[in-house]
Amino acid sequence: MPTKPSKSGVAAPAVLRRRTLRVLGTFISLLEAVRVRASADLGFDIEFEVLDFPSCQRKAALHPEAFDVYDQTFHNLGIVWHWGVLQPIDTDLLKSWPSVGPLTKLGGVDKYANRGAGDAPRLKLYVQPDHSLGPQPTRFISMLPTVHNFDSFGYDLRAFNGEGRPRESWAMLFDPRAKGKLALVDEPAIGLFDAALAAEASGVLSFDNIANMTAAELVALFRFLRGKCDEGFLLPCWTTGDEAASLFRRGAAAVQSMWSPAYNQLGEAAPFIREAVPEEGYRAWHGGLSIARHVEGAQLRMAYEYMDWWLSGWAGAAMARQGYYISAAEPVRDYLSPAEWSYWYEGQEAGEDLRGVDGEAVVAPRGKIRSGGAYLERARRIAVWNTVMDEFNYATRLWSRFVADIRARAR
Amino acid sequence: MTKPRLEMTRRYELVAETLRANIAAGRLPPGFVLLEGPIATVMKTSRAPVHAALKILEEENLVHRFEGRGYLIGKAGSGVQAIRRDLAKQGLQISNAIDTALQNRGLWEQVYDEVETAVAACLIFGDFRIVESELGDYYGVSRTVVRDVLARLHERGLITKTQSSHWVAGALTAQSVRERFQLRQLLEPEAIRLAAESADYDRIGRALSRERGGENASWIELDRLLMEHCIARGPNGQLIDLIRQNRLPLAAAARALTKLGLPKDEVAAGEYLVLFDLLTRRAIDAAATFWRNHLTVLAEKNLARLKIVAVISDPPPRPPYLSPRDPQE
Repeated sequence: MPTKPSKSGVAAPAVLRRRTLRVLGTFISLLEAVRVRASADLGFDIEFEVLDFPSCQRKAALHPEAFDVYDQTFHNLGIVWHWGVLQPIDTDLLKSWPSVGPLTKLGGVDKYANRGAGDAPRLKLYVQPDHSLGPQPTRFISMLPTVHNFDSFGYDLRAFNGEGRPRESWAMLFDPRAKGKLALVDEPAIGLFDAALAAEASGVLSFDNIANMTAAELVALFRFLRGKCDEGFLLPCWTTGDEAASLFRRGAAAVQSMWSPAYNQLGEAAPFIREAVPEEGYRAWHGGLSIARHVEGAQLRMAYEYMDWWLSGWAGAAMARQGYYISAAEPVRDYLSPAEWSYWYEGQEAGEDLRGVDGEAVVAPRGKIRSGGAYLERARRIAVWNTVMDEFNYATRLWSRFVADIRARAR
Repeated sequence: MTKPRLEMTRRYELVAETLRANIAAGRLPPGFVLLEGPIATVMKTSRAPVHAALKILEEENLVHRFEGRGYLIGKAGSGVQAIRRDLAKQGLQISNAIDTALQNRGLWEQVYDEVETAVAACLIFGDFRIVESELGDYYGVSRTVVRDVLARLHERGLITKTQSSHWVAGALTAQSVRERFQLRQLLEPEAIRLAAESADYDRIGRALSRERGGENASWIELDRLLMEHCIARGPNGQLIDLIRQNRLPLAAAARALTKLGLPKDEVAAGEYLVLFDLLTRRAIDAAATFWRNHLTVLAEKNLARLKIVAVISDPPPRPPYLSPRDPQE
């Protein structure tokens, strides 16, 4: 096998440099541009296996030998951690650890921030002495926090009297003006909360703890959703950001679950679509990187290098151009133009046309202001975190039957 | 119609007894290959009790597993040659008492095991309705037989009847798992104490040495051994029935999960060995206390296991008489 020359020119151990790091994850962060750049910077080969959320967790739990690094989210970390397929990460070996911000380490960006209900990353971050996961800081963590965001819903101004509403609420999902034009994302740990927040905001239902609903509360929620379905409110659920963008572009949806990158693909509909700032707060999520149990020796050093690389700036800048934040924000400044930084992180007006990850498509024309404002403002308004609640299996069964039902009706 | 009784769970003992007698009489010679299917046919029973019976004979060192399918008669390591012959032509003797006991079970009991397994396995995949006519058609049995089967499932708490008179199997929710484990904590430590005089400590000791010798059984199997050799030997039949019934959906879910390919839980298995060790030393109080604490841990593990089922999107093929249903109906 030929030895790859080291980019930096420093003599590196040949064996280490010829090896490949295998990363299992989702489309959120595993972009081809990221893989190419990381491989060039780190000097070893990197393979990405990109799956949807459920397939990714299934693969991680059942085939832990098939990957070295697991790129997923904190809310479903418990599932795979329980199976012992991951190993604790030693923060003493992570150069980037001190630069990780307070949202995950302390539970909020500052003392005034809403902590949010549910699987806040802090609750799963530290490996406790009995090997369970908890908020008590220790030297070992389960997952290095990386990409995150505060999601809401999007709506078409043309369906709502042509103007943005001064007060936006999750209840708008079931606004009669959007009847027949509501689409939810088909993911039971995500779309279900959009629906639950909307049901609660409408005053129809009230949950004791929205992030840990009881079986009876779930049944009530689905009774409500089926009623709305009978009234003709719902479109079939979408599964990818591309589909969500297309629903708005075609004018098929008037209000729906939305993910950040989808706002960058709205074409001519862009001026009419607003990303809501719900008064109840955002549905937050947080991604991160974990290491498979079997990884050791040189491969383990590569995994740590790869994790540090993620927080060293370039990847954070690429994520910012999709509307995502990174846990270590400071290094990102070096890789964003001042106009990009002030638009994406500080909530300022775009001083010039800002481009996406591909460097071509304009994703924020000059003069645009990011919905919800600066990072700190958005991060202070978390209503609920994406969560795998105790009744997650039951919720998933109810959810998938419901989703199949809407699809069948649409035919 | 007589009310179905719980003694039926001991059917495997009838099968085991018959095989034991025929081995002793030499009608089943060393090396003879025992397969579940043919035994079930000859004894006119389903395969589940045969499976359980063979396990018991294995524990008794009367049969052992080999590279092929089934079990070989004789001790492991005895080096006997495999003899493959038609069981029906061995002139097996089934004592009148056992034959009557087996035959008196009636048609409904013959299909019951399969239905119970299918119903229990679907509980982790949501709420289902049991369509009576489909069930009858599926097994080619009358409505009376179907009703007997359903009455039994109802008695065991696996199904309920809705206001619209539909038989339904309610989903195994996190809440019901938690409640069932709470019940286990209340009942099982006490049952272990009550069985102090009558538990089969030899069998438990043998299981312990097999495990220490590297057999590596699943905790589901060890849980079954605890039930059969300790708890079920106790004097209070009502209590034992209650415990069995409470465990049924949990055990079924655990088996279904293992079938889906989830890895073995070595830690949980290790805890059973601690318990077995305490029992064989007759440290009954310590065993009961240990068991109560261990059930707390086991409950959490089961809840976590239940969450992972959610990522398995397609339930295994289920019979046509089980139809998905909305719980709000």
